[in-house]
Amino acid sequence: MNDAAPSAPTARLVDPKLLEILVCPLTKGPLTYDAARQELVSAKAGLAYPIRDGIPILLEDEARRLDDEEI
Amino acid sequence: MTDHDTPEPEAGGDTTHFGFRTVRAADKKGMVREVFDSVAERYDLMNDLMSAGVHRVWKARFIEWLAPRPGMRLLDVAGGTGDIAFRFLDAAGKRGADPETHVTVCDINEEMLKVGRNRAVDKGILGGIEWVRGDAEALPFEDNSFDAYTIAFGLRNVTDIDQALREARRVLKPGGRFMCLEFSHVVVPGLDAVYDVYSFQVLPRLGQVVARNRDAYQYLVESIRRFPKQQDLIDRMADAGLHQGKVRNLSGGIAAIHSAWRI
Repeated sequence: MNDAAPSAPTARLVDPKLLEILVCPLTKGPLTYDAARQELVSAKAGLAYPIRDGIPILLEDEARRLDDEEI
Repeated sequence: MTDHDTPEPEAGGDTTHFGFRTVRAADKKGMVREVFDSVAERYDLMNDLMSAGVHRVWKARFIEWLAPRPGMRLLDVAGGTGDIAFRFLDAAGKRGADPETHVTVCDINEEMLKVGRNRAVDKGILGGIEWVRGDAEALPFEDNSFDAYTIAFGLRNVTDIDQALREARRVLKPGGRFMCLEFSHVVVPGLDAVYDVYSFQVLPRLGQVVARNRDAYQYLVESIRRFPKQQDLIDRMADAGLHQGKVRNLSGGIAAIHSAWRI
């Protein structure tokens, strides 16, 4: 989906202050920001939450399940 | 005309209420999402028509009681279209500029957030506001993050209200303020009969004409009747750790503001 819009990830950035207080909604554990993929990764939950158009989507049913290599 | 007189199965166990229909708890979230997806663009117009503009007065009273101060960090849940967030920034700004003044808008619905962010751009609001998609029952924020938590016309749509209240307490700092604005229960004798006719006869038709979604507004009316009464909500807030609860009725109880503190 991101392939079609190469400029999208840089168009809107998530406020670093917001990133500081965001946690995984399931585990309440920390999230790692993957700028390249525009994802917030919860290692504990094994989920990557998407950031679309600068809006982090912290919903389990919108998240990508990490594969074995990523964990 | 409506099915609200017909007997229904008891809600319990894995079921919950969707308006007056009893549905599986797991399905409610998706059903509520569909309702708001379908009405997002006309949501504010609908609110104006439904309440004859009175919702603006209610929101103004809500912000007045919150008394935003410079440097306050607010979490506004279910505030997708930005109505509360913009009023908050405006009110806090009038009392003094502070770069720490901040509102995080968290809504489960993508369409409502889009409407809000576009409105922010139109209003020229650049800083002090962030948009997050998340669930009131599983908030994606650290413990002790906010000075205040607001939820306006949102708590009614949450599947598990008690869980949402516990999450509110968790993300509030000690000494933080919880505030809820919601349709409530009429406390003025005589007004209740008028309000019944209005809500069951007029509102769904307005919804059909304006938002082209009668079911959405039928749901709205029924969900209002399901919502806990004023004192009941105060008790449930206390059970969740939100204390010193107080209520102010608006328009004879058609809506009410609840306020409490994380001590």
